[in-house]
Amino acid sequence: MTMVLIADDSETILLLMRTRLELAGYEVTTAADGQEVIDRVAEREPDVMLLDAMMPRKSGIDALRELRAAGHRIPTLIVSAHQNPDDADAPSGLEIDGFVTKPIDFDRLLAEVATLTGA
Amino acid sequence: MAVIGVGRFIQKRQDFEDSIARSYQVEMTARVRIAEGQGGGAARREVPKQVAYREQLRDNISGDTRDTAILVAAGLIAGLTGALLLFSGLIASLRRPLEALVDAAGRLAAGDLSARVEVGGLSETATLGAAFNEMADQLQAEASQREQLDRLKDEFVLTASHELRSPLTSVQGFAELLMMERETLTPKQVETVEIILDNCRHLVRLINDLLDLARSDAGRLAVKMRPTELAPLIDEVVRTLRAQTEGSNQLLEEDLETGIPTVSVEPDRIRQILVNLITNAHEYSPEGANIGVKARVIGDEVEVSVSDDGPGIPENQLDHIFERFVRGDAGLTQRVGGTGLGLAISKSLVELHGGSIEVDSTPGEGSTFRFRLPLRPAAEGLAAPATADASS
Repeated sequence: MTMVLIADDSETILLLMRTRLELAGYEVTTAADGQEVIDRVAEREPDVMLLDAMMPRKSGIDALRELRAAGHRIPTLIVSAHQNPDDADAPSGLEIDGFVTKPIDFDRLLAEVATLTGA
Repeated sequence: MAVIGVGRFIQKRQDFEDSIARSYQVEMTARVRIAEGQGGGAARREVPKQVAYREQLRDNISGDTRDTAILVAAGLIAGLTGALLLFSGLIASLRRPLEALVDAAGRLAAGDLSARVEVGGLSETATLGAAFNEMADQLQAEASQREQLDRLKDEFVLTASHELRSPLTSVQGFAELLMMERETLTPKQVETVEIILDNCRHLVRLINDLLDLARSDAGRLAVKMRPTELAPLIDEVVRTLRAQTEGSNQLLEEDLETGIPTVSVEPDRIRQILVNLITNAHEYSPEGANIGVKARVIGDEVEVSVSDDGPGIPENQLDHIFERFVRGDAGLTQRVGGTGLGLAISKSLVELHGGSIEVDSTPGEGSTFRFRLPLRPAAEGLAAPATADASS
């Protein structure tokens, strides 16, 4: 079963995303901040990650930077509350596979996840 | 010196007059004696002698007059030169501080708020300089305060828009979840959820518009242009919005000229402008209205227009229609879901592309909004139509 790791500091958004992804047939694991992302990946590498750009303690961007540096090539979408990816000051070279803005357009999100997991 | 000379000259003149008078007197006495036949040779000689003497006197005095005139002129010239020298010294001591003031005022006007003058010299210019510096200090303080306020406002809008998105994501997302199980809901519940979703979309639009406006104010609303086919883009927007117009039995038709060349635009922004214009036409027009979207090439520009046969815009509102928070009467009296920001943002966006936007409207007959984009736009991010002309 394809596993998706979702990270967001809002519990309701995690619940929402988990529900939609599970309805679409994915196995879902969650993280509330960047450190938890790294911990989950260490436990079991997901097939795709949906990371909130801004989270307390360690952001999704920082977690991704660490994972990329450690050689992890997991396809990743950055979920941002910023309308425009520029404002999320996402650095280049992190091999980000796409940006999703909040409020989330789930039809688009699910289509992108499907593309990334080759489903 | 001249005064002494002139005084002496007056004295001489007086003596001259006296001598002449005396000479006439002597001559007259001599003539009387000749006439009386008692003068003899001495009296006869006296007459020409006095005539010659007066001649001599006149010669002397005219020489003195000339000398005195020269003396007076020289004195005057010397005096004037002195005065001039005095003045030029004064003027120089005035001119330098004044030039410095003019220079500093010029720099201040050009935006260099650090422009100050050296305070010194004559008390008048020193006072002027001190007043200028005080004014510049105040301007600089106000400007930095304004900048700080602007930054705070930008930060606030950015943060607020960011913070509002998270709860909005939840509200919209869970409402959508409910709609995924609409067969288990009563019609009343379905209607309720639809209202929630409508308002979510409205809020998203409002937040996005406010963010765009804040960016525009901060000069950070930029467009990332890339070669784009306009016709498929317009077609896609029209097809997306047809669901809404069909809901009001409105006819949304498109008439796109074939062979419109590729334009350099930011597709998302052109989409945003089109959605704004078509949504306005839809929301401000009654059921059954006709809405037309046209695109054609005119000279070195491509023109996209959105027309409707709705109520039109009163003449007194036309001039302000592109200003923020200005909404047509229908928007205030009917339940139109706009923000009053769409046209202001559309105008900013069209202009960032080096284009222009205008409106034609006849009350009772309808409105047409047209925007034109240059076929050969200016360099990326610098939307200057002049450059576009030069490169063509």
